[in-house]
Amino acid sequence: MDLLNNLYTGFSIALTFNNIIYCLVGVFFGQIIGVLPGIGAPTAIALLLPLTFKADPTSALIMFAGIYYGVAYGGTITSVLINVPGESSTVMTCLDGYQMALKGRAGAALSIAAIGSFIAGTVSIIILMAFAPVLAKLALRFGPAEYFALAVMAFGLLTVFGGEQPIKTIISTMLGLLIATIGLDVVSGMPRFAFGVPQLLGGFDFIIIICGMFGIAEVFCSIEEPEEGELLKSKFRLRDLFLTWEDWIASRWAIVRGGVIGFIVGIIPAGGITTASFLAYLGEKRVSKHPERFGHGAIEGVAAPEAANNAASISGFAPLLALGIPGSPTTAVMLAGFMMWGIRPGPMLFQKNPDLVCGLISSMYIGNFLLLLINIFLIPAFVAILRLPYTIIMGFIVIFASVGAYSVNNNFFDVWIMLGFAVLGYLMRKLNYPIVPLVLALVLGNLAENSLRQALTISGGSFSIFFTRPISAIFIAAAILAYLTPVIRWGLKGLRPSRADVS
Amino acid sequence: MSFFPRGIGMRLADFIGGVVFLILGLAVIYFSSQLEYYSEFGPGPGFLPLWVGVVLIGCAIFVIINVLKKHDKMGTFFKPRTKLGLHVLIIIFIAFLLLPFLGFSIGLALFVGITMRIMGRHRWVSCSLTAVVTAICIHLIFVSWLTIPLPQGLIGW
Repeated sequence: MDLLNNLYTGFSIALTFNNIIYCLVGVFFGQIIGVLPGIGAPTAIALLLPLTFKADPTSALIMFAGIYYGVAYGGTITSVLINVPGESSTVMTCLDGYQMALKGRAGAALSIAAIGSFIAGTVSIIILMAFAPVLAKLALRFGPAEYFALAVMAFGLLTVFGGEQPIKTIISTMLGLLIATIGLDVVSGMPRFAFGVPQLLGGFDFIIIICGMFGIAEVFCSIEEPEEGELLKSKFRLRDLFLTWEDWIASRWAIVRGGVIGFIVGIIPAGGITTASFLAYLGEKRVSKHPERFGHGAIEGVAAPEAANNAASISGFAPLLALGIPGSPTTAVMLAGFMMWGIRPGPMLFQKNPDLVCGLISSMYIGNFLLLLINIFLIPAFVAILRLPYTIIMGFIVIFASVGAYSVNNNFFDVWIMLGFAVLGYLMRKLNYPIVPLVLALVLGNLAENSLRQALTISGGSFSIFFTRPISAIFIAAAILAYLTPVIRWGLKGLRPSRADVS
Repeated sequence: MSFFPRGIGMRLADFIGGVVFLILGLAVIYFSSQLEYYSEFGPGPGFLPLWVGVVLIGCAIFVIINVLKKHDKMGTFFKPRTKLGLHVLIIIFIAFLLLPFLGFSIGLALFVGITMRIMGRHRWVSCSLTAVVTAICIHLIFVSWLTIPLPQGLIGW
C-alpha cells in the first residue's frame, strides 16, 4: 500500500503543469546534450545548476533528472548514425547499431533503443520507488562509522570501475579529498591550505570545479581530438521505425536481462551507466545462441545495452536519495544541487521531504514516456542538430561555465579558479588520470572526514569501531576487496599462460 | 617547423606527472604537519590531509617506477591540434581579463565571434552577426530573465 500511496503523492506533484513543463524541458535538453559531442550530463547539469537557485527544488530536480536519463536516449542517435557515441554510456550501441544502420535498418535500431530504454526505465522506476524507502529505513541505523565505511567502499569501487590504471584512480581520489579539505575546518575552525587568501577560507565551491573540469576541459579535449564521423544520409520515414515480429522475439529477453543488469550496477556506488551497458552487452553475447551475429547488426546487441544504461540511470538515484551518497558524477552534481537548496539527501529525506522524493521519482514515468514519443517522432530534428558547428557548441559551454562560476559568489576570482581547474582537468585526462574519482571524492570528502572524526571520537581513538559494527565491517571488507582487485587481476594474469604460449 | 616539441612522449609526460604528485604529496605532509594531528576530542584538522599526503607520495612513486620500467615512448603528448586548443585557451584568458571592462554580454560575445573566425573559419559577417545575437541573448537570458547581477562593464550592457 505504501507504494500506491507514494505513487499517488508523486503523481499529484509530477503532473502539475509547471512540473510537466520542467520535465519536458529536461528530457528535451537531455536528448540534445546526448546528441552533441563534447558535453555530457554532469556538465550540462553543473552549467545549469547556478541558474536554478531561485527555482522550486522539486521542479529543478525533475528537470535535472530528465536531463540525466534523456542523455542516454540522445547518445544513441550518434552511436547508430555516425558510429560515434554521443555519451560514453552508448559506446556499446555503436557496435551493432551502426552495422544495422549500414544495412538500412537505422530506424529499427533507434526504435528498439527507445522502446528498450522505456520498458527497462519504467520497470526500474517501480522498483526504485519500492526499494529506496527500504534502503532509507536501513540507513537510519547508520552512524558515523557506517557512513565513513560507505565512503571508503565507494572510493574502493572506483578503483574497480574507475579506469585502466587503478593507481591513477587512487591519486585522483586523493586529489579530490585534498581539495575538499581546503578552507575552514568545520570541527576546529582552523583554516587549512588557505595560505592567507580570504577567498579560500570557504573552500572551493563544487559547481566552480565541475564547470571547469567537465565543461571547459571537455572543450580543450574535443578541440584536440574531435569526434568526427560521417552522417549516414538516410531519410527517416515513420514506417522505418516499426519493428518486425522477429525483432521483437530477438530483443524481448535482451531488454529484460539488460534492465536487470543495469538496475543492479546502477545501485553500486561508482558502478555507473557505462559499466552497466558494457556488462549487459557482454552478458547478452554470452547467453546468445548466435554470438557470431554480435558486431554485425544484431538487434539484441542494441536492445540490451540501451535497456541497461537507462535502468542504471534510474537506479543510480537510490544511493543518492536514500543514503546521500552519489554513485556517479551526474548524481554528485545533483547532490551539490540539493545542498545549494539546503536539502540534505539521505534517510531523513524520506521523512522530511516525501513530496520531493515521490514527485521526483514519479516524474521519471512521465519523462520516459515523453522521451519515447520524442524518439519516435522527432528523430529527424535531432539528426539536424548533428550538423551544428562545434564552435557554436563551444561558445555555449564557455558562456554557461563562466556565468555559472561567476554567479556562485558574484566574483571574478571564481571564474579564474574555474579556468585553473579546466586546465588541471585537461592535463589529467591527457595523462589518463580519471576525473570521476576526483569529483566523487570532492563531494564525499567532508562527509568521509567528519564521519571518521566522529567515529574515532566515539571509540576513544580506536579503529576497531569500523570492524566491530556489522554493516560497517561489511562495507570495509568490500572496500578492501575492491582495492585488492587490481592485485588479484595481476596475480591471475601471471598464473594464466599468455596467448602466445597457447598458440 | 612544429610549434610544439613533438619529441615529448607520453612516457616523459607521465614521469613529470608522477614527480608533480610526489612534490604535491610532500608539500601536503609539510603543511598538514603544522596543523593539529590529534586533539583531546579525536582526530584534528591535520589528520586526514597528512594521510592523503602519504598515500599521494606512495602512489606517485609507483607511477614513477612504472614509467621508468617502460622503454617505449607510449605516443606523443602534443597532438597536431593541441596548438588550436592552446589558441582557444589564450582567447578565453584574454576574454576573462577583459570581462570586468567589457561586461559579460559583450566580452563573451566577442569570444564566440573570434573563436568562430579562428577555429571554424567562418566569414567575418557570420561571426559578427553571431556575436551580436549572442550578446543580446546573454543579456536577455541571464540579466533580464534570470536576474543574475552580471558585471555590465564600461559600456553598461
